[in-house]
Amino acid sequence: MLGYIGRRILATIPVMAVVGLFVFSLLYFAPGDPAAIIAGDQASPEDIIRIRATLGLDRPFLVRFGEWSWHILHGDLGTSIFTNLPVTTMIGQRVQPTVSLMLVTLVFAIAVAVPLGVVAAWKAGSLIDRLVMGLAVTGFSVPVFVVGYILAYVFALQLGWLPVQGYTPIEQGLWPWLSHLILPAVTLGLVYIALIARVTRATMLDVLSQDYVRTARAKGLAQGPVLFVHALKNAAVPIVTVIGIGIALLIGGAVVTETVFAIPGLGRLTVDAILRRDYPIIQGIVLLFSFVYVLVNLAIDLFYTLLDPRIRY
Amino acid sequence: MSGAPLLSIENLQVHFRTPDGVNRAVDGVSFAIGSGETLAIVGESGCGKSVTSMSILRLLPEPPARIAGAIKFEGKNLLDLPNSAMRKIRGNDISVIFQEPMTSLNPVLTVGRQIGETLRLHQGLSRRAAEERAVEMLTLVGIPEPRRRVREYPHQLSGGMRQRVMIAIALACSPKLLIADEPTTALDVTIQAQILDLMRDLKARVGAAIMLITHDLGVVAEVADRVVVMYAGRKVEEAPVRDLFRAPRHPYTRGLMGAVPKLGAVEHGGDERLAEIPGMVPSLKGRIEGCVFAGRCPDVTDLCRAYAPALEPKAPGHLAACHYAPKDALAA
Amino acid sequence: MTATVAPFPDRVPQAGAPPGGLPKAPPPPGLAVAAPLPDVIPVRKHRGKVWTYVRRNPTIVVGGVMLLIVFLMALLAPWLGTVDPTALAPAKRTRMPSAQYWFGTDMLGRDVYSRVVYGARVSLLVGFAVAFLASVAGLAVGLVSGMVRWLDGVVMRVVDGMMSIPPILLAIALMALTRGSVQNVIIAITIAEIPRVARLVRGVVLSLREQPYVEAAVTTGTRMPAIIWRHILPNTLAPMTVQATYICASAMITEAILSFIGAGVPPSTPSWGNIMAEGRALWQVKFYIILFPAIFLSMTVLAVNLVGDGLRDALDPRMAKDV
Repeated sequence: MLGYIGRRILATIPVMAVVGLFVFSLLYFAPGDPAAIIAGDQASPEDIIRIRATLGLDRPFLVRFGEWSWHILHGDLGTSIFTNLPVTTMIGQRVQPTVSLMLVTLVFAIAVAVPLGVVAAWKAGSLIDRLVMGLAVTGFSVPVFVVGYILAYVFALQLGWLPVQGYTPIEQGLWPWLSHLILPAVTLGLVYIALIARVTRATMLDVLSQDYVRTARAKGLAQGPVLFVHALKNAAVPIVTVIGIGIALLIGGAVVTETVFAIPGLGRLTVDAILRRDYPIIQGIVLLFSFVYVLVNLAIDLFYTLLDPRIRY
Repeated sequence: MSGAPLLSIENLQVHFRTPDGVNRAVDGVSFAIGSGETLAIVGESGCGKSVTSMSILRLLPEPPARIAGAIKFEGKNLLDLPNSAMRKIRGNDISVIFQEPMTSLNPVLTVGRQIGETLRLHQGLSRRAAEERAVEMLTLVGIPEPRRRVREYPHQLSGGMRQRVMIAIALACSPKLLIADEPTTALDVTIQAQILDLMRDLKARVGAAIMLITHDLGVVAEVADRVVVMYAGRKVEEAPVRDLFRAPRHPYTRGLMGAVPKLGAVEHGGDERLAEIPGMVPSLKGRIEGCVFAGRCPDVTDLCRAYAPALEPKAPGHLAACHYAPKDALAA
Repeated sequence: MTATVAPFPDRVPQAGAPPGGLPKAPPPPGLAVAAPLPDVIPVRKHRGKVWTYVRRNPTIVVGGVMLLIVFLMALLAPWLGTVDPTALAPAKRTRMPSAQYWFGTDMLGRDVYSRVVYGARVSLLVGFAVAFLASVAGLAVGLVSGMVRWLDGVVMRVVDGMMSIPPILLAIALMALTRGSVQNVIIAITIAEIPRVARLVRGVVLSLREQPYVEAAVTTGTRMPAIIWRHILPNTLAPMTVQATYICASAMITEAILSFIGAGVPPSTPSWGNIMAEGRALWQVKFYIILFPAIFLSMTVLAVNLVGDGLRDALDPRMAKDV
């Protein structure tokens, strides 16, 4: 078991190295010469070469990549071109709204999607099943920002039930915090719900045709325990897997959702950074999100043993 | 058998809707089981044995299945019961042992929980009491170290042990009727004998009636009191076990017996498989004109192809559906 | 006949008419004939072939028809009552939808209806170009990885790494490097989608390589291109076609997202994402600027997804029930 955990952790190193290489190349190939910018308009070509040398920009790709990685491993993500603040500081200021949004979405989506998928599989072929599957296809087809604007228009602008935009930190109270996150979470959650519900349904369909489900029914168990204890426990591994993989959707969707609802989080920071061509920020965000994504899926891998006693490493 | 039977099935029809027509899996089958009796149902795979047993517990999904006829258990028609009442019967008054011990137990729940679940459900035992009873049940079905085994998962047990666990689950609530659907087919020959012994032993203690579904005539000869032979969704013959082996009336039954060891000769552990009957079971999509066995019968005539034979008494307690089956003078 | 279970009227057995045309002669006297058994399920009438196809594949038919409409719209855009979608008319800014401006006008006085109709061209182009390019490139990478053992490890580590960057983020990062143009958007989304196709193809190749007939071909010295052409490609085609439709749908959404956050096609080009990006500032008062392109984009992506679902069911009957 410990050996397996060790090997799994080691296996993430090459993955993160590839991500790092990609992210570094981003800056390396980015248009615009930082030395020319620093030197200013009146600088001679010699000045620029001198500045390049002092900045170390004239050294080979791999040397610079190594140095860059060294800084990253020590928690230095560089400095924002636009604000001159350290990237870590800027990310730190924006983490809370994004983490809040993702956690609320995660809880909401799982709470909705898994029961929907279970019921759809149980009533396979029925009207309920078709409705759930229709919802799923719609979830995949309607872009996040479209959902966001429609929800905001109906529930915030027209009905006035919830705040239109913005974010309130959790320190200012649970309800103000949550009320600002409900519409964004529903918006962001729709694709995720579609994904989880489809996989839940497919896995449950398979599990429900298994002999042990028939045994459970033959014992006289009611539909609820059969579905949610006997069957769902067996379907847990694929469902948890897709919840992990789907986090990529959440990350991508957060960028858009935060733009629609004017939430000052990492997604908003990304969009601003693109418009300002602030490469160090883009690098930092891509690196951070990918790292979180890899870690979550690593954790889920290790979580399998708890879900299924047959899995032993 | 005296008085009202424990279970009586009357003119049972189980049809399935499929994309290319209606599958008449069980068509007009009737039989009865008395308290404490062991009735065997034999026939090749696909002849409707398992469908019949599944419809008794109403475990078939409806749709695609549609059930007609009556299934009377202690006088009540199970097909008329609401779901909640049906659930009180399943696992309590009637329980099942399935063919596949490898896949019939839930892989992610402990053995103790799976036995105890039935007891908690039907007898309202506490979690602790149910586990105690589960240990007793494991002891009863002959599993060594029951205290350790209750906390184990099915994949940690051998095939024979899993079938013992299935039997423990089935007998936990002392049912009046035990349906055993090919209980030994998936097991090694030596284990088969042990499981059959166990079932006979427990039957004597619990006093349950057994409906044994099998394609293994050796097993039938070992344990059954009476036999129903099914073919293509119909009952083609029914007789007390000795009469059937002594004088089978239907050509299909004779075909089945072709290569089977004689009555009581199972112990040599030979191959008790059914004889090969040439041809294939006819498609059950749509109606069959004439006798269902006409396509494979060695003695078929034009009469058989035109007119389906009625199920008639050919000797006392001995029914067969064949125009040419010998009929004792006493029978009518 | 005893009582039956449920209160369905057709549940009550009816005496079915005996099948077969010929009237039967009465049985000889003394012969015990079994009574005919009733039909439990009423026999269903057969309908026409086309109707049966539509009934069994509703998704592919509905999706296909919707997609065809969008295609025709993109193709015939100039003849659908449109005006120049880039023509500015500051005097006629933000007009509500009317008989003259079906979908109203935007902040710069451009006709939203015309922009939406022409916008179909960008979405379809991006969707299908990405689906095609990502499939071809993914196929190449997957084949190399699956067939050349020593390269497999390296290629798969790179693929794993690329896949651990959320695709939209990857496309955004790539777009940050270049100017916004339709071509660059296509390239960026394609790069983000390649790893998924490569994984799929590699999986198929690896499972096929275990097949006896492929092993036999290898041992009898059949050359690699022949094996790929004869055995690998035909088996990869079905799952890849399904995958390609899903990529097409997701590429359309990604294009809209990129354009929406200002990292996509240039603002002058009418694309559904762009129209919505321009409506962003005014969404609380002029919701229609966002609404109309949103409806068209969603319907088009839905059409592609429906075709994908239908193809998947048709090409792999085993999976038909699932996902």
